Amino acid sequence: MIPGAHYDQRWWDDVHEGEELPRIDDEITYRRVVMNPATTWDYFPGHHDPEYARSQGQPTIYINTMHFMGFIDRVATTWAGPRSFIARRKMSMRRPIFAGDTMVGAGRVSRKYTDSGGATVRHLVELEVTVSNQRGELCAPATVILELPARGAG
Amino acid sequence: MSVRLAEGSYEDARAMIGTRAEVEFADHAVTWALIKYFCAMVQDSNASYWDPDFAEAQWGGIVSPPAMLLTWVMAPDWQPQSPEPKTLLLARIPLPDPTVISVETDTELFRPIRAGDWLNVEETLVDVSARKSTELGEGHFVTTEAVFRAGDGTPVARYRHVLFRYTPRKPAGQ
Repeated sequence: MIPGAHYDQRWWDDVHEGEELPRIDDEITYRRVVMNPATTWDYFPGHHDPEYARSQGQPTIYINTMHFMGFIDRVATTWAGPRSFIARRKMSMRRPIFAGDTMVGAGRVSRKYTDSGGATVRHLVELEVTVSNQRGELCAPATVILELPARGAG
Repeated sequence: MSVRLAEGSYEDARAMIGTRAEVEFADHAVTWALIKYFCAMVQDSNASYWDPDFAEAQWGGIVSPPAMLLTWVMAPDWQPQSPEPKTLLLARIPLPDPTVISVETDTELFRPIRAGDWLNVEETLVDVSARKSTELGEGHFVTTEAVFRAGDGTPVARYRHVLFRYTPRKPAGQ
């Protein structure tokens, strides 16, 4: 066990549609944005050069696509647990998260279902996850499908 | 600073629809070190990314966050044999506009991506929209689709990306 790592798991059986995911607030400093190119190897200047971001019509540097996706997955699996498989994630980016903003993640369970189309029955949940900023403006809505462990499913 | 994007007309771009880029092979395997740095950036404490014993029992090894998919096929900006940076297909679409912003992604995962995997990617240009006007400026929506495969050729993920290639309405503060 790694102290502080997240091990708690939700079982598919215990999930109910309409359930709310815990909200996560995350303050995005300039340092965090510059960690985008450092950790994803995405050197697009909108994520490290404020002058370039301004030439694009943005006030300053903003987080990259992979940071949005990583945060959405964090919101989903912090609720669901580390034995959840992220099967699909669709997201649209309507408004950037800028250095200095606070990113707010929230979500709810929109569907609980099984898929028997493959070799084994998959126990799935569909989540509607939202990323907003500190002013409550919707920045990135997403739909995430997780496969969860189920009791007695082996 | 500017961004290296292919220049051309909307007609040039339309003519490329359906183009499948050559398969790009990763220069390096999926590595736990970079996974940790990414998870530190996102502040994700999921044990699948941090605890090798847990991850081995659950997934057969340390897992890559699915959000890092593109990272695993990025190449260093400079290498002795290729001093020019490699670019993704979405940067090679000829259009008149000088900059881009991502607007949509759709990722489907077929199996966990693990430290030690060597990925490759095959990208296709799916669509280039007619010229549209948004809050940011005028330009075209460019849609690409990529299939990621493991070293043995098994598809591990499908990734669809829409970006807006545009001319800014006006720089902020002017």
